[in-house]
Amino acid sequence: MATTLPTWTALGPALLLGITALVLLIVDSIDPDTSNSTLLAGLSTVGSLAAFLFAGWLLVSGTGQPQTGGAITLFDDQLVVDGMSLFFALIVTSVATLVTVASHDYIADQPYQAEYYSLVMMAATGMTLMGSANSLATGFVSLELASLPSYALVTFLKKNRGSVEAGLKYFLIGALSSAVLAYGISLVYAASGHLQFDAVASAVANTEFVGVLGIGVLFVLGGFAFKTASVPFHFWAPEAYEGAPAPISAFLSSASKAAGFVLAFRVFTTAFPELAGLAGGPVTVDWVLAVEVLAVLTMFVGNFAAATQEKVKRMLAYSSVGHAGYVLIGLAALGGAPDKGFVLGASMMHLFIYGFMNTGAFLFIGLTEYWDIGRTFQDFNGLAKQAPLASVAMTVFLFSLAGLPIGGGFFSKFYLLAATAQSGTWILGAALIINSALSLFYYTRVVKAMWIEEPVNDFEIDSYPAGIYTAVIVAAVITFLLLPAFGLLSPSAVTGAAALF
Amino acid sequence: MSNPWIAIGALAVVAVLIPAGMIAVSSLLRPTVPEQGKRAVYESGEVPTGNTRIRFNIQYYMVALLFVVFDIETVLIFPWTVIYRDAVANAGLAKALGPMLVFIGVLVVGLGWAWRNGAVKWVRSPRAERQRVEQ
Amino acid sequence: MAIQVQYYLLLSAAMFCIGLFGILTRRNALLFLMSVELMLNAANVNLVAFSFQYGNITGQVFSLFTMALAAAEVAVGIGIILVLYRNFKDVDVTKAATMRW
Repeated sequence: MATTLPTWTALGPALLLGITALVLLIVDSIDPDTSNSTLLAGLSTVGSLAAFLFAGWLLVSGTGQPQTGGAITLFDDQLVVDGMSLFFALIVTSVATLVTVASHDYIADQPYQAEYYSLVMMAATGMTLMGSANSLATGFVSLELASLPSYALVTFLKKNRGSVEAGLKYFLIGALSSAVLAYGISLVYAASGHLQFDAVASAVANTEFVGVLGIGVLFVLGGFAFKTASVPFHFWAPEAYEGAPAPISAFLSSASKAAGFVLAFRVFTTAFPELAGLAGGPVTVDWVLAVEVLAVLTMFVGNFAAATQEKVKRMLAYSSVGHAGYVLIGLAALGGAPDKGFVLGASMMHLFIYGFMNTGAFLFIGLTEYWDIGRTFQDFNGLAKQAPLASVAMTVFLFSLAGLPIGGGFFSKFYLLAATAQSGTWILGAALIINSALSLFYYTRVVKAMWIEEPVNDFEIDSYPAGIYTAVIVAAVITFLLLPAFGLLSPSAVTGAAALF
Repeated sequence: MSNPWIAIGALAVVAVLIPAGMIAVSSLLRPTVPEQGKRAVYESGEVPTGNTRIRFNIQYYMVALLFVVFDIETVLIFPWTVIYRDAVANAGLAKALGPMLVFIGVLVVGLGWAWRNGAVKWVRSPRAERQRVEQ
Repeated sequence: MAIQVQYYLLLSAAMFCIGLFGILTRRNALLFLMSVELMLNAANVNLVAFSFQYGNITGQVFSLFTMALAAAEVAVGIGIILVLYRNFKDVDVTKAATMRW
């Protein structure tokens, strides 16, 4: 394709999101005393939808991919736009669109709405840039750009003790882990003298500070574990997701997690492949083994904790930890796999589908919070009689999360299983199967409560908020459509991932 | 070529002259109305006496916060000013100046928002308000 | 070049560990923030020292970014601690425990 656009337009999705955030601030500066929630939600939805369409167009037209001359690097190789970064831009912007649509009803009575949408857009900008970061410096800065607005967003309901407590815990662990990440980066710099990924990769091959480098790599891994809510920095996740406003829980558990993963993928496959012998050399710092241990631990911790919960939102929060474990397979199974692009591509597809089904599930929780019907499994009893359409959508989300062939989650888990089989890491495959079976148990509890149980307390649903309903239904339809359309998307994920090796 | 210390001496003289001139001119121009409140110790609007463990006006926090954030941004501007001439010579005016204008533009949007939302509007401290009534 | 780089590494490791110790033992949210600052500055010591060692300024520039981010983080953090105080009448991080930890 004879594209004549200048190269900086490859960053279009991130630029659009950032400009939307500034426009929202300007709109609020013009008239700070009143907030027109429809205008604000509309602006941010238009902005994120435009970014989504632009990212999709770039991906389809082959920007930064092998057929048009390979990855586009900008600002002296500090940023890179390739198939993987565009793919993750799609995930982030689609989740951001759903979240802004749903927030219109959810925060309709709250003050500071312009700030809310502006912070969502800024966080989305940071997450999109994390996919394009090609140096530890830009990676760290964009990670913080995604994190700092998230802390404020979790604490958004500042008169609600749960929200404040969630924000505090999220902030404390986030600040700690960003310090750990910064220290890890400084150690990697100490061992290599570079921050740009390719330069790091060539410099660490013959470094004299192997010990320093090893500690640095472990610290960097720890920093990413926070962002992706994986063991050992997963403690914040259930608290933050339970206390935060439901659309923000959806945003953090889907988009933020995906952004953390894309940065981890790029750092470990571009900057540190030699250390684990992925390029055929000797193993010096075996991070693949470390990720393998973390993946298994994360799966078991997340799913077993989810099975014991009494509140639905907290159950979903723990299941989100479990899903981080599934996605970690993409890095953990790289060791012996002949087709590394397929292994990483499977993880990317799982994140993409997870973006829709998990966002949808949390937005359904937002719907129940809007109706004020309680948080435990019993409170959901008989919900299907009152709100059949939303209940069908929730059923699709939950079964797709469990991996039943009712949504795209079935194929993505199947791909992950195939990836573990390919690399011969049977322990990961076994953990995946055991945990999926376990997850079916606790997801079914919600479905059973909604469809089979009789309601214990009478509640009358008198209003059907259009925004949340639209977002939930759209997410459900896309989750379902991704079952037949899985084959359309997976090649772009696999080729995007394969370009890294 | 003259001694470079002459310039520094001249600068010192100017530095003394400007504040001295300002004090002198204002003492000539201002009306003199002595009053008790003017002789009190100035403590930025807070009552200067009493326990130190009082709750300060929230406004101090707002101003300090804005100061920290915008002050730290100068850290990012400073290296740019050092290489500015070389950058203009090598890359042209637009490439050297443009990105910094964008950066400052983003900051200005933030500052404008904070201003419009009353972050720099001074609210009176309730404690000082009480004290005034008692006197 | 009188000081060997190992000493810088030791200094920064000590700073990092002091910060970590502070985080693990202190319950006051403000002291927690100070400890995090100490850990970030440990990273800065490393970056500046090795920037000098390798003779490229990448590390120094990155340490400027770290400082700016630390300031932004403190700004957000103090805001959160302020609403914490309003809701729980304390800045003790263990008091905020309405949900299970």
